[in-house]
Amino acid sequence: MANTHSDHPAHLQHHFVSSEQQFDAAKMGMWLFLVTEILLFSGMFVAYTVYRSWHPEVFVLSSELLNPWLGGLNTIVLLASSFTVALGIHFAQVNNKKGLVINLVLTFLFALTFLVVKYFEYTAKFEHGIFPGAAFDPHGVSHGVDYAMYNVPYARQFFSIYFVMTGIHGVHVLVGMGLFTWITIRAIKGEFSSEYYTPVENCGLYWHLVDIIWIFLFPLLYLI
Amino acid sequence: MSESASGPINYLSHDKSIKSWLLTLDHKRIGIMYLIAVSIAFLAGGILALLVRVELMAPGETIMSADAYNQAFTLHAVLMIFTFIIPAVPAVMGNFVLPLQLGAKDVAFPRLNLASFYIYLLGACVALGALVVGRVDGGWTFYTPYSTSVGDGILYITTGVFIMGFSSILTGLNFIVTIHKMRAPGLTWNRLPLFIWSIYATSIVQVLATPVIGITMVLLFLEKFLHIGIFDPALGGDPVLFQHFFWFYSHPAVYIMILPAFGIISDLMGTFSRHQVAGYKFVALSSVAIAFLGFLVWGHHMFVSGQSAISSTIFSLITYLIGIPTAVKVINWVATMYKGSVQLKTPMLYAIAFLFTFSIGGFTGIMLGVLAIDIHLHDTYFVVAHFHYVMMGGNVIAALGGLHYWWPKMTGRMFNEKLGKLAAALVFIGFNLTFFPQFIMGAQGMPRRYYDYLPEFQSYHLWSTYGSWVLGVGLFLILGYLIASLINGKKAGPNPWGALTLEWTHTTTPPHPHNFTETPIVTRGAYDFHLAKDLFAKGGEVSEVPSSAK
Amino acid sequence: MSHVEHHVSSIKLLTTVFGGLVFLTVFTVLTAQLDLGPLNVPLALLIATTKAALVVIIFMALKWDNKVNTAIFGIGVLFVFVFISFTLFDTLFRGDLTNTVEGTIQDQMIQEEAMKAREPASDAIQFNRTPQ
Ligand SMILES: [Cu+2]
Repeated sequence: MANTHSDHPAHLQHHFVSSEQQFDAAKMGMWLFLVTEILLFSGMFVAYTVYRSWHPEVFVLSSELLNPWLGGLNTIVLLASSFTVALGIHFAQVNNKKGLVINLVLTFLFALTFLVVKYFEYTAKFEHGIFPGAAFDPHGVSHGVDYAMYNVPYARQFFSIYFVMTGIHGVHVLVGMGLFTWITIRAIKGEFSSEYYTPVENCGLYWHLVDIIWIFLFPLLYLI
Repeated sequence: MSESASGPINYLSHDKSIKSWLLTLDHKRIGIMYLIAVSIAFLAGGILALLVRVELMAPGETIMSADAYNQAFTLHAVLMIFTFIIPAVPAVMGNFVLPLQLGAKDVAFPRLNLASFYIYLLGACVALGALVVGRVDGGWTFYTPYSTSVGDGILYITTGVFIMGFSSILTGLNFIVTIHKMRAPGLTWNRLPLFIWSIYATSIVQVLATPVIGITMVLLFLEKFLHIGIFDPALGGDPVLFQHFFWFYSHPAVYIMILPAFGIISDLMGTFSRHQVAGYKFVALSSVAIAFLGFLVWGHHMFVSGQSAISSTIFSLITYLIGIPTAVKVINWVATMYKGSVQLKTPMLYAIAFLFTFSIGGFTGIMLGVLAIDIHLHDTYFVVAHFHYVMMGGNVIAALGGLHYWWPKMTGRMFNEKLGKLAAALVFIGFNLTFFPQFIMGAQGMPRRYYDYLPEFQSYHLWSTYGSWVLGVGLFLILGYLIASLINGKKAGPNPWGALTLEWTHTTTPPHPHNFTETPIVTRGAYDFHLAKDLFAKGGEVSEVPSSAK
Repeated sequence: MSHVEHHVSSIKLLTTVFGGLVFLTVFTVLTAQLDLGPLNVPLALLIATTKAALVVIIFMALKWDNKVNTAIFGIGVLFVFVFISFTLFDTLFRGDLTNTVEGTIQDQMIQEEAMKAREPASDAIQFNRTPQ
């Protein structure tokens, strides 16, 4: 480990001995951060499990109001964005700058698509008085669905959990879009190569986790 | 090594501008900044505690109204728990000592480290906003539905706690990675100082538990302002579910508070007994065992909440299990003293005091974990006394020991040893005088959190208040002579205690800005005094940095 | 300076996994439309877990990563299960004490006095609290 200052790569911070040590440390830090994210969401999964176990019929009934085709579409959009991130890292590893940038931009666009679909889902709910909390008051008829029928005890809990879960997930998607903007700019500047692509890899890990959370939210809220 | 007229450059002297402190990435300076912030929080929380004790000297209103009393004890708890004890040992001593003990130049993520300090400050300020804007008087546990039905002050406290949680997570994450990736060559897991092991266990708890208080605070916030109906029984929610959420974090959080204290005590026991810490591996792994078991017992706070009997039974049984790794530690510390030759320096006095006070705190904790006894003692002063015996008798006394132990390394000055011993005695006597009577009156039925009480409890309350004054005098004495030592204290050598861990054997006092001028190579365990004859050739006192460090 | 080669996943592998994920998504939406009785929930969760596992192992490259990171992830998942299962120990068995008496202690004292006086219970005694 005989490092003199002259052969330090530009990205190597002074308190690390080698690029390898820096890379491993950053990645381990990222995995620990992902664990904190998992535990953050766990609280909502606990709330979901407890209320579902207490009122299963209400949860089955309420989930009918969520459109599984839109949810399914969004699932595929997010999976595609995960795929493009994985491709992006692949291209970074083989020093293909163009491939990296294209895939990062695609990821950003998929994330945007996800939020647009989510926006339409939310507004459709709001129109019929389905809000989180005190304003919850389903009413009106559309596509042959009489919303007033769904105004049953504990339906409010289902939709509170739905809005809180998807809301916090949506905030994570927004943060991810910010991260990908930053990473794309750095990629265009040519800061990444097979020697150094830690930020791409770590943003990718974050994004995959956002995807995984959705993989569970989708069946729990829309399907069952 | 570059020398100036005033000796070798060190982390305090190499750049004295305010900016160089506020924007520093040096773990040692961040540790010192945390020390100052945390001391202010302790002072504020301590003054509130003294006021609470004065109010309780006599039944009825003494110096404040019932309303003011409720706010005072709530703020005392919030300040002491979230702004003082949680960051006290990990963020102050962990930051200063951990990279030094590992032989690293810094923590793995220095910028994150600085960020965590400012996030802590921000969170503390937001939480204190509650003081100015609204009233918070429901205790630090924020139980629903009370917390969601009164005042807006809760808004600030929950936001503040949420923000400070990030700071705690970032510190823990940083330390875990540092311990895994930044150890000096030769520093295997079996050679790590036990302080590192306990900080490691603490960090695991910080990373795993803190996010849950984050989401709990978010849900509480939404419950209050949107009425989402998860915790509020009037809307079909379940207040006991809130208690599950809260204690999933807050029981492990008491291990964030006590595990680092264990680490300090282990280091003090080894160093001042001049002996390998007995059962090193057991002491090390018991920290990790406590960290994991600590996640399985939260329901012991909820025996009278109406949770199911089966879960109370499970939580109670697992609570007993925690006694095992804890006893492993205490027994090994006593064995270390028995086998070694004990030097009664000030830090060691705190370690010995800890053995008494923590053992009382631990045993009464097991008592409270017994279902039938807890029904009787729940929400009485017995719980208050138990909690303070663990938190103050455990964490604060150990932290004081650690502060005295590392003070020469941090500042380059020795404190007055005679005053140190006097203050240690005052703290020990004052502490016991304050809290032991609370066990008795608690067992007799004095409920906690009331500003008024039946006259038959007055003598206990009087003793308790007198004790708080002795304790206060002791703590102010410490503040006084530590500040005095900065001005006229004797210059400290690199290793005044004759310790074997890297921060003493391989750095100057105070340390170089980059800690080590040359990466240390470790060849023995942290307490292998029998392998360190070279250091003690001149009769036990070590005054020079060994040549390998120069 | 020694440099350890990082694993590079081939485009073919990534595409195959993506195809599998899309297939599983369509599959879970379709099976959810059928009424499988009690099997709907476990099937949906099984499919979701499979998808998550594919993402973690291949996309997040945990298969080729440092074992410490696998351990970290595993511990995180483990504690989610601890949180859920220990909370369920309570919520699924609420009110499981069998030797409890309805009404408060005060109610019982009133009842006792009433019985001592050998009079029928007054209107003040109302045992209308129902266990949850
Ligand atoms: Cu506890």
